Amino acid sequence: MNLLQSSLWTTQSSQSRLTGTWRSAMPDYRNLPSPCLGACPVSGRIAEWIRHVGKQDYRAAWETLVDNNPFPAIAGRICHHPCESACNRQFHDETVSICSLERFVGDSALAEGWRFDAPAAERGQSVAIVGGGPAGLSAAYQLRRRGLRVVLFESRGQLGGLLRYGIPDYRLDKAILDGEVQRILDLGVEVHLNSEILDAAALEKLRRDHDAVYLATGATSSKVLPGLDYAQPWVIDSAEFLAAANSGAPSQTGPRVVVVGGGSAAMDVARTARRLGKEVTVLALEPEHLLPAQRVEVDEALEEGITFVTGAMMKSLDAGAGGLTLSCIRVDFKPGDKRGEFSLAPMAGTEFELAADAVVPSIGQNADTSRWSGLIDSAGPLVATDGSWQTSAAGIFSGGDVASMDRFVTQAVGMGKEAAAGIARFIGAEADGAAGAKGPEVPFSEINTHYYPPVARNIAATAGVAERLEGFGEVQQGLSRAAALAEASRCFSCGTCIYCDNCYFYCPDMAITKLEHGYEVKTDYCKGCGLCVEECPTGSVMMYEDTRG
Amino acid sequence: MHGNANGLLLSGNHAVAHGVRLARPDVIPVYPITPQTPILEKITELQAEGQIAAELLTPESEHSAMSACISASLTGARVFTATSSQGLLLMHELLHYASGARASIVMCNVNRTPAAPWGFWPDQLDSLAQRDTGWIQLYSETPQESLDSVIQAFRVAETARIPVMISHDAFYVSHAVEPVDVPSQSLVDEFLPAFRSDIRLDTEIGRSFGAPNDQANWNRSRRELDASMQTVNDLVIDAGRDWGALTGRSYGPLEFYRTEDAEVVIVTMGSMCGTVRDAVDEMRDKGVAVGMLKVRLFRPLPVAALREALAGVPCALVLDRNYSPGTGGVLHQELKSALYGLAGAPRLHGLLTGVGGVNVAPGRIEQLVSEFSGKEPVVGPVWVE
Amino acid sequence: MELIKYQDEGQFSSGHVACGGCVEALALRVILNTVGKDAIGVVSPSCSAVICGGYPMSAVKIPVFHTTLESGAASASGIKRALLAQGKPDTTVICLAGDGGTYDIGLQALSSAAERNEDILYICFDNEGYMNTGGQKSSSTPKNAVTGSTPAGKTTRKKNLIEILAAHRIPYIATVSPSHLNDLAAKVEKAKSIRGTKVIIVLVPCLPGWGLPDNAAVRTARKAVESGVFPLFEVFDGVDYRLSVGTRSQSVETYLKEQKRYRHLSADQIAGLQAETDAEWDRLQARAVGGQV
Repeated sequence: MNLLQSSLWTTQSSQSRLTGTWRSAMPDYRNLPSPCLGACPVSGRIAEWIRHVGKQDYRAAWETLVDNNPFPAIAGRICHHPCESACNRQFHDETVSICSLERFVGDSALAEGWRFDAPAAERGQSVAIVGGGPAGLSAAYQLRRRGLRVVLFESRGQLGGLLRYGIPDYRLDKAILDGEVQRILDLGVEVHLNSEILDAAALEKLRRDHDAVYLATGATSSKVLPGLDYAQPWVIDSAEFLAAANSGAPSQTGPRVVVVGGGSAAMDVARTARRLGKEVTVLALEPEHLLPAQRVEVDEALEEGITFVTGAMMKSLDAGAGGLTLSCIRVDFKPGDKRGEFSLAPMAGTEFELAADAVVPSIGQNADTSRWSGLIDSAGPLVATDGSWQTSAAGIFSGGDVASMDRFVTQAVGMGKEAAAGIARFIGAEADGAAGAKGPEVPFSEINTHYYPPVARNIAATAGVAERLEGFGEVQQGLSRAAALAEASRCFSCGTCIYCDNCYFYCPDMAITKLEHGYEVKTDYCKGCGLCVEECPTGSVMMYEDTRG
Repeated sequence: MHGNANGLLLSGNHAVAHGVRLARPDVIPVYPITPQTPILEKITELQAEGQIAAELLTPESEHSAMSACISASLTGARVFTATSSQGLLLMHELLHYASGARASIVMCNVNRTPAAPWGFWPDQLDSLAQRDTGWIQLYSETPQESLDSVIQAFRVAETARIPVMISHDAFYVSHAVEPVDVPSQSLVDEFLPAFRSDIRLDTEIGRSFGAPNDQANWNRSRRELDASMQTVNDLVIDAGRDWGALTGRSYGPLEFYRTEDAEVVIVTMGSMCGTVRDAVDEMRDKGVAVGMLKVRLFRPLPVAALREALAGVPCALVLDRNYSPGTGGVLHQELKSALYGLAGAPRLHGLLTGVGGVNVAPGRIEQLVSEFSGKEPVVGPVWVE
Repeated sequence: MELIKYQDEGQFSSGHVACGGCVEALALRVILNTVGKDAIGVVSPSCSAVICGGYPMSAVKIPVFHTTLESGAASASGIKRALLAQGKPDTTVICLAGDGGTYDIGLQALSSAAERNEDILYICFDNEGYMNTGGQKSSSTPKNAVTGSTPAGKTTRKKNLIEILAAHRIPYIATVSPSHLNDLAAKVEKAKSIRGTKVIIVLVPCLPGWGLPDNAAVRTARKAVESGVFPLFEVFDGVDYRLSVGTRSQSVETYLKEQKRYRHLSADQIAGLQAETDAEWDRLQARAVGGQV
C-alpha cells in the first residue's frame, strides 16, 4: 500500500488559506506627529533625531536637526522648549530633556566641525534678506540650501540680532553663536553689514534687484512705561543696557537697580545687572507663576539673589538725594486670551515703596513698521503677512519679531524656515511641498509604557551661584555623553517608528513584512487583532477600519 | 533446509519473544500483565544480552505503550508490543488510532478473561471485542505457530500498512512448553527484510500526520483502509506459503484438518484447535466423518474461503471460547453472517465451550458432535460443558 | 528598550486558523522557530492541533504527529526512541499540548515519560481550561474563575504542576509568557540543549475563554507575570529554582479586572486571591533564594 498519496499526510502549507478575510480592522503605519513635534516652533523631527542620538549616530541626529533649524547649539541653550511641556513622557514620569539633548547634538557638531553640504545645484534666482537676526539667518540658510542666491543686509556691525545683542553670554556663549552663524555663511551668503534699509523706497529697490525679499528687521524700539521720564540718566532702556553689557562696556548705574518687567528680556537685564554687582529687584505685573519668562530663568535669578516683587506696579517715582523711591501698589493681574493681553486692577491699601538707584524698564519691544508705509501694509504693530509670510507687496516676505508677536528665538527661526519655503514657491523654485507628519498627535494612551520603565530625567548641571556671579560664564552646562544616551532612551518616540520589530515579532499570523525602512502589513493574512498596535512602544502603528470592498 | 536444527523447548510466550528477536524490531514499548509477562521478561532479557537491539520502552500503562508504538511506527521504526485482556481493553482507543494511522505494528495478545470478576484464564473475548478496530487478527494454536506468526505478521503489516494482532490463549499456549524450531537469523532476514516506510515522520520529508479532516476525507481514509484490508487474505496466504518454503511449516488464513468428505466440521480458533485435532483423530478412527476448520485469520475474515469450504457440508459446530453477552459466541455470529444466503450451507451450531477457561477435553468434543450433529440449530446461546 | 532577538526562520506559517490575537499561535511562532528545523512535533488535541493542522494543510514546517489527548508524552517518547534506533539522537522531539492534555488526562503519560527521563521537550499551552471545547474547567483553572462547567466560579485552586514535575527531578522545568518573548526563546533554546525531559509551561490568556478583547492577550499575560499570579522561573533538576522576573509591580486585581471570567468577584474574593498569590510568591522567593526546596 502506497501511503504517499493517501488521505492521511499533509501535503501543503497553510499559506494557501487567506485568513485576511476574517479582518474588520487593519493596522497602518501612519507616522502620526508627536506632541513635541506639534509644539516645536521649527517643526523639528524630535523623535527622529533623538533616536539617532540613542544609536550614537550624532551626525545623523545633527543632520536631522538642521533640516529645520541651523542653530541646534543655540536652541539647545535658549529655546523656551514647548516640546518639553508637550512631551507625553510627563504623564509617565518626567518630560524628556529635549532641549539639553539638542544642545548636546549642536555642541557635538561644533566640536567636530561638521559643515552643511553645499546645495545640490545653484539656481539663478536671488533673494535679499533684510535683517541678520534669527529669522533672517534661518531664511538665508533655508534659501541657500535650495540653491538660491542670498544677499543679506544687516544694520549692525555683526550678525545675530537679538542672539548677539540681546542674550547675555551666561545664557549663550558668543563663540557658539559665531560657530553656528559661520556655518551658514560658509554656504555662500553675500553679507552687507552696517547696511540699514531705511525706507520703502530702498526696500522697493531691493525688490526690483532681486527675485524676492525677506524682511526680518525685528522689534527694535522698546515699549515705553507710562509715567517714566526716559530722559533721566537713571532710566536705562533695557535693550541698550544689554547691548552695552554684552559688548563689555562698564556699568554707569548706581548699586540698586529695579528692573520693570517679567519676561525673558527682563530676566536677562536683571541677571546681567546682578553679575555687574548690582542689588537687583524685579518688579512685574504678573504673579510669579504667570511670569512670561521661562521658569528656569526665574529660578536661576532667584538663586542669584535677585528680589522679585511680583503682582505689583509702579505708580510714581521720586528722585531724591538718597536715590529713587518707587511708589508701588499690588495689582490683580488677569491674563487675556491672547499672548501679551491682560487686565489689571490695583488693590487699594496695598501700597508700598521700593528704593533704587536706577530703573530699567524691560516690558517688551515694538517693531518699526512705519518706515515701509506705502509699500507694505501693517496689522496693528506688525507687518501684515499671509499664510506663506508674504506681505501686501508681492515678492516681499516677512517674519520674526517685525511680523509676529511670537517673540521666542526659535519661533523666529521657524518663521524664517517657513518664509523660505514660501519664497521658493513664489519664485517657482519648488512646487507646493508635501508637509511632514499629518493627522492627530499621538496621545499618551497610545504609548505602551511597559517598554519604558520609570526612570529619572537627566538634567544638565548648573554652575554654582558664586561661580555664576563672578562673570558671564554659561550657567547651564551640557549633558555628558552617558547622560545624553540615557536621556535619549527615555524618549517614547511618539508616532515615530523606531524599527524595534515588535509589530513584526508580536504578530501571531506572521502578517508583517520587514522592509528596508519600515514594515508592511500582509493583507492576505492579517486578522486585524491589533497586537502589533498594542505592542508598538511608540504608537506609530494604529488600527483603522478596513475599507476593503 | 527444513527441520529442527534449532529446536528449543519453549513456552508460547518465549517463542513469541524469539520471534520478536528474529524480526529485529527497532522499538518495543511494553507494559506487563499476567499472563503476558514472560514475553516482556524474555524480550528484556534478550535485549540486556544484546540479542535484541531495539529501544525498549516501559511506560506506565498499555495505553502509553500503544501510543508509543503508533508514533514510533510512523517515524519509520519496526515496532512490537504485547499485552493481554485489561491491557488490550485499555488500548482500545489507540487500536483504532493505529489502524487509522496505518501503523505497521505487530502485537501479541495473550487471550485472557476480562474483568469483572477478576480472572486470569484463557478466553478470547478480549481480542474478539477489538474486531472493529481495524487490526488484522491472527489466532495461534501452538508456541511454534506463535513464533512463526510473529515473523509473518511483520511482513503482512508492513505490506498492507495495517497493524496485526496475534492472539494466543493464556496458559494453554502462553505457558505450555513444547519443542519449537527457532529459525536462523539469516533465514528470517531473507523472509523479512528491513522496512522503512516511504512516508513517515522525518525532517527530510516534512509531512505531518493526523491533522483534523473534513467528512469527505475521513470517509476516504476508511475506503483506503478497506481497499488494503481486501488484500490481506492474499498477503497472509503468500506469507504462509513463503514461510513454508523456508521452514517446511506453511500457514494460511484457514486450516482444514481431515475435512474431506466430512459430515460434520468443527470450526474454532486458538488452542481449542489442538483439542479438536485429537478428538477428530479419535472420531475418524471410529469412522465418524468429522473434520476441523481452524480459523487462523479472523480479521479480515476469509469469507469467500469459508463459504467455499462449508458449502455442501451438512453440519458445522462452532466452538466459541468467548461470550458476547446477549448474543453468544463471536465466531458463531461471524460465521452465520459469512454463510448467509449460501446454497448448501451447513446446519450451524454455536456452542459456548470453555468460556472463562473451563477445560474442554477431547472426549467432550466427541460428545458434542454426537449430541448436536443430528439436531437443528437453535437461536440463542448454547452453553455446553 | 530590549529588542526581541530570536530569528523567524519561517518555521510557522501564515494561514493558520488560530483566533485573531491568539497568543498560543504567537508562542508557537517563537517556539517553532527557536527549536528549528531538526525537530519532530507531537500535538495533542487542543487549540494547537487546530492551529497546526487542518488537513491537507500544515502550518508548521517540521513534521508533526497528531495524537490522542492523553498520549502526548507517550507519543513523543515513541518518536524519540524511533529516532534513537535510527541513529538520530539530536533531533528534538517537541510535544505541544494544552493544560487539559497535561494537567489532567495526559498527566499519567507525562509523569511516566518524566520518570523515564525521556529526551523530549514538552510544551504545555496553559490557557487554564478546556478552551478548545468551548471553555470548561480543567485542573489548571484557577480559583474563582468562571468556566462552562464552573458557572459560579471554581471553588478549588489551580493544580501546581510545577511541583509535581519537580518531584520527578527532571532536568528542566520553566514557565514562560507570550509577553516575554526573549525569555521564552531563551528558555526553549536552553531546554533544547539539555538531554532528558524538559517541560515548559506557557501561559496563554484565551480571548474567548477568559473574556478578553482581541488585542489583550499579551498585556494580560504581562500582568499575570507582573502581579506574580504567573511567575516566570526555572527549576533545574527539580530542586534548583531560579526566578526569571524577580519582582512584582502590579496588584492581582490589576490582572483580574479585564477578564470577564473574574468579573463577578467580590472585594473579599479579590483579596483572597491576592493573599494566595502573596503566599505562593513568598514560597517561590524562599526556594529561589535558597536554590533548593
